[in-house]
Amino acid sequence: MSALTTVPKPKRRRRSIIARVGWPRFLQEIGMLAPAVLLMTAFLITPFLLSFWTAMTNQPLVPRPTPVRFVGLNNFLRILNDDLFWTSLWNVTRFTLWILPVQCGLAFLTALILNQKIPFRNVFRGMFFLPAITSMVVVCVIWGTLFQYPTGPLNHIVVALSGGTIQPIDWLGDPNWAMFSLVLLSAWQAYGFQMIIYLAGMQGIPDELYDAARIDGAGRWGRFWHVTMPGLRPTHVFVLVITTIQAFKLYTQVAILTQGGPKSSTETVVHYMVRAGFEEQKLGYASAVSVILFLIVLVIALVQRRLMRRFDV
Amino acid sequence: MSDLALSSRKPAATLNGYRIVQSISVFVIALVVISPLFMLFIASLKDDRFQILADMGSFRAFWVDNPTFNNFREVGNFAGELAFGRYLGNSLLILGSTVSLGLVINSMAGFILAWGSLPGRALILSVIIALYVIPQESIIMPLLIIVSRAGLSDTFTAQILPFVASPLYTFLFYQFFAQLPKELYEAASIDGASIFRTWWSIFMPLSLPALATVSILMGIETWNQYLWPILITQTDYARPISVAIATFFGQDSIFWDRAMAASVLMMIPILVFYLAFQRWFISSFVGSAVKG
Repeated sequence: MSALTTVPKPKRRRRSIIARVGWPRFLQEIGMLAPAVLLMTAFLITPFLLSFWTAMTNQPLVPRPTPVRFVGLNNFLRILNDDLFWTSLWNVTRFTLWILPVQCGLAFLTALILNQKIPFRNVFRGMFFLPAITSMVVVCVIWGTLFQYPTGPLNHIVVALSGGTIQPIDWLGDPNWAMFSLVLLSAWQAYGFQMIIYLAGMQGIPDELYDAARIDGAGRWGRFWHVTMPGLRPTHVFVLVITTIQAFKLYTQVAILTQGGPKSSTETVVHYMVRAGFEEQKLGYASAVSVILFLIVLVIALVQRRLMRRFDV
Repeated sequence: MSDLALSSRKPAATLNGYRIVQSISVFVIALVVISPLFMLFIASLKDDRFQILADMGSFRAFWVDNPTFNNFREVGNFAGELAFGRYLGNSLLILGSTVSLGLVINSMAGFILAWGSLPGRALILSVIIALYVIPQESIIMPLLIIVSRAGLSDTFTAQILPFVASPLYTFLFYQFFAQLPKELYEAASIDGASIFRTWWSIFMPLSLPALATVSILMGIETWNQYLWPILITQTDYARPISVAIATFFGQDSIFWDRAMAASVLMMIPILVFYLAFQRWFISSFVGSAVKG
């Protein structure tokens, strides 16, 4: 029996696609797939592979008469010996450690509130998502005025709330505050995205679980701790990972508001890369930074995969 | 334990305290989220940039005595300095071309991957999924070499073509097409429709949710591009509005009045779409995330 059914299979497989569907259809399929494949090859795969090669050369931005030299791992060695690179890596780490609790925490709390039956729930949800669709450049204009020293709105609020015990803060000009100021601005801009991801996650938890918990005598707190939190585990992983990756790519806010200053306190990996490649014209060196950035993002994404597999099935 | 019996009394008492905390927090969050945006719109109607900063410290930030469109008139030129009319037009052109080309190209590819008969589709699909991990920031330096060697510096093409085909959007289309019923495809091929016809006349009209999701995600992404256009544009010719607004920050004393008006110009198109299609926006962003 099994021999009879397996016989036709290899035969069918050997028939070429053209014999199966004919030339017109074959060409049409190629024609429909080709634009995407070619464009991705030209603008995604090629630059990606090229970055590994360029990273090992002294390629300048503008072509020079002297030929491009292969320098091996020299660029990487110079990066790893550059204190400013380590500062930038430490800065984005610092930024990540701040933004995770501030942004994801706020998003989580807001989602918890909006997940209840409160009046105008959808209006609030739409409102809270508004900054997430606002361009970062516009956000920088808005927060540029909020951060004014010493008489900006934020300083007025700080001074008023502290009853005058806290002096006005030079938000973007003080090396101790600049990164935290960028955290505030970035969290304000992006938290709406995390909020709707959390909301979707919460709505994915079946009501029956809450009913069952209620029958078992679980109070509000018990239901939160034993139903909501376990149900949100994959959402937590996703939100934390996506926020971490975003944080490591921090650039626009820095380029517009602080240019990495004051005293390199807001220098980031991407800003460091753009400065090397664009302003100092050392494309080879900048490509080496971009390879390092890719490896960082890859590691974070692989960690996410591992964690997702463990929680999901 | 006797929760059911007590339920008529106990929750009613706790509910009020809880409700109050809830309402206060929603109100505070709404204030924090909305007031900066509201302030932006109000400030763009004030003519005096020093007055804007002076008003910031008080409730006058939310009020304008003599609203004027002077700032908009100042920045709304189409040539010369402060040509934000032109920059806005550039951005809209880049947005329109990228999204419309992107919809066609990514959906065609997604359709072939889902319903075509080419060998190696599974391999292409897994390569595309793997490509999704590469962040734009990490390919931007070599991309700069490729695009400038191709003679595309300072062009619209350089801001459109590299971002038309995207692993994420091809995958989203693939995912959407693959879950449509097989009968749809079979009926079309029995009727003798070519694969192109099947995609265009049968599957595309049924794909409004996918088309909306991709348009919205792609639109926001294109509209907010900053790093790439700063590297690739040198003149006003193809400069998008995001890059132009950022130049306000390069000056010694920032013209906040003009910066505010230009920002409002940049916000309006997105805001109009958002207010009209809010539900779609939110579900699109959720949809982009479920991938994992």
